[in-house]
Amino acid sequence: MNTAISAEQGLLVPSAVAKGKSLRGLAWRQLLRKRTAVLGMSIIVVLVLTAIFADVIAPYGPTEIFSQDTMSPPSWTHPMGTDLLGRDVLSRVIYGSRVSLYVGVFALVPAILLGVPLGIIAGFYGGPLDNLIMRIMDIILAFPIFLLAIVIMVMLEPNTTNVVIALGIVRIPIYARIVRGSVLSVKELEYVEAAKALAVRDPRLLARHVLPNCMAPIIVTSTLSVGVSIIVEASLSFLGLGTQPPTPSWGWDLKANMILLEINPWITIFPGLAIFFTVLAFNLFGDGLRDALDPRLKQ
Amino acid sequence: MREYLIHRLLLLIPTIIGVTLVVFLMMRYIPGDPVTNMLGENYSEEDARQLRHELGLDQPLAVQYGKWLLFLLRGDWGRSMLTNRPVLTDVLYRLPVSLELIILSLLLSLLIALPAGIIAAVWPNSWKDYSAMLISMAGVSIPEFFLGVLLFLLFALVLRWLPVSGYTPLLDNPAGNLWHMVLPTITLGFPRAALLTRLVRASLLEVLRLEFVTTARAKGLGENPVVLRHALKNALIPTVTVAGLQVGFLIGGAIVVETVFAVPGIGSFGVDAIIKRDYPQVQAFVLVGALIFVSANLLVDVLYAVIDPRIHYSKKDA
Repeated sequence: MNTAISAEQGLLVPSAVAKGKSLRGLAWRQLLRKRTAVLGMSIIVVLVLTAIFADVIAPYGPTEIFSQDTMSPPSWTHPMGTDLLGRDVLSRVIYGSRVSLYVGVFALVPAILLGVPLGIIAGFYGGPLDNLIMRIMDIILAFPIFLLAIVIMVMLEPNTTNVVIALGIVRIPIYARIVRGSVLSVKELEYVEAAKALAVRDPRLLARHVLPNCMAPIIVTSTLSVGVSIIVEASLSFLGLGTQPPTPSWGWDLKANMILLEINPWITIFPGLAIFFTVLAFNLFGDGLRDALDPRLKQ
Repeated sequence: MREYLIHRLLLLIPTIIGVTLVVFLMMRYIPGDPVTNMLGENYSEEDARQLRHELGLDQPLAVQYGKWLLFLLRGDWGRSMLTNRPVLTDVLYRLPVSLELIILSLLLSLLIALPAGIIAAVWPNSWKDYSAMLISMAGVSIPEFFLGVLLFLLFALVLRWLPVSGYTPLLDNPAGNLWHMVLPTITLGFPRAALLTRLVRASLLEVLRLEFVTTARAKGLGENPVVLRHALKNALIPTVTVAGLQVGFLIGGAIVVETVFAVPGIGSFGVDAIIKRDYPQVQAFVLVGALIFVSANLLVDVLYAVIDPRIHYSKKDA
């Protein structure tokens, strides 16, 4: 086995590594040159730190009740005001970042774990297997994403984990399609031919040589997907079909505070702004990544 | 063209079968057994078996699915578990409301996106381009319900220019109806406009670099006919595809927007049904939503063939 690997490495890996390094370096430099992408990245870093250290940063607990101080406008003690029950909105917004980021990131897991292999198999082997896989994907795609997420929430029960499952399932066909498309073009390249000639087995060929060349669209789609997932989670929670109280979630808080819109609009606006800036950050970063990784799209 | 149309219509059959199958399976796998729910607490095994037989639940799944489909085709969509009204009646009342909202929003988004995208592409990297891109970046990042709440706060509560809530049927009072639809339409249309603006800009920029544009300019054509007559036509092709795909998001968005503004469409009907666990209504809601999406996709494909005669459709569409 060792000899097989070394033969393969001797022929293929040095050029691949050299190319990979310079490409990656180039992409990274491209990304850092784009101010909006750096801005997006910075917001994401701040958000992640906020979610991790919520216990330390938040002035109060997310469910702590100040019964003397309900529906108050922003003040020094409660910078974003308090809600109907007298809970500190700033603390709830800080803790709410956990749900949003959790859904945004973990919804990618089932989508990637199932969608990517399905796309690789369909693209690489073609024929009836390809047809079967892609027709099943088409049926999933025959539903609008949000409607399908709702269907899954009806069958399971509304809570945060099930939102992750629903979003993960809904995304499988999207990854399968993107990866299939990339594999179709990559598998015709000469280096794949060379690897085949060296009798590299299929699983190894796919994982080591084909997949790495399909990574760019996967990374870009994933970054932009995080933003979409966060919006869908917030929308589902807003409708009462997502994260359930007392877990602090931006969508649910916005909905719950809406009845007080005329008296105290602040406590509705702040959770909304939190969603907006989070999604904006992932979109800016994703846009920058796409420009950096795909030179064809650059203007 | 005709052959393509027939082929495309035939493709609709497996899609619709797939969609109805998903809805059927969803209804079958909802938590809870309908038989034990109907019988209450005191029942014998014999009663349960009897009722299961009467409802046809002891038959093979394929038979149950066939019967269910037949009932749907006959217009028997079941009755609401709470109001006992026929579900189809409610659906037919609410469907036009949602369609109006979706169509108005799509029109609004194109009305904004085309000029904004053209301006951004004709003057790339100018302040016009940057402001169009900045606004559209904000537009794609804002969730509909938050935009709805902000617009509602500003125009209905603070400035009091637009109605707070309520709905007037289109046929009773067209002006009043449109007045009530202003905020929901902007809320649903603006994020779509943002996305389409980015797309029109990107595809127009790409087309403007092609040789035929240089030729048109070399012929001495003015900048206006070059951009609007020659380049735009080609740039519109990807725009139509994406605008069609947007219908899926418009359906999802309509569910949220109807809930925010209490518009009596199919979306608010569905959310209400899900929260009250009125399953015959839930089933109708999902089915109608998926069918709107499928028909919109068909429409886009046909439109596509009309706009771009170069596209030659073969039987293999992958």
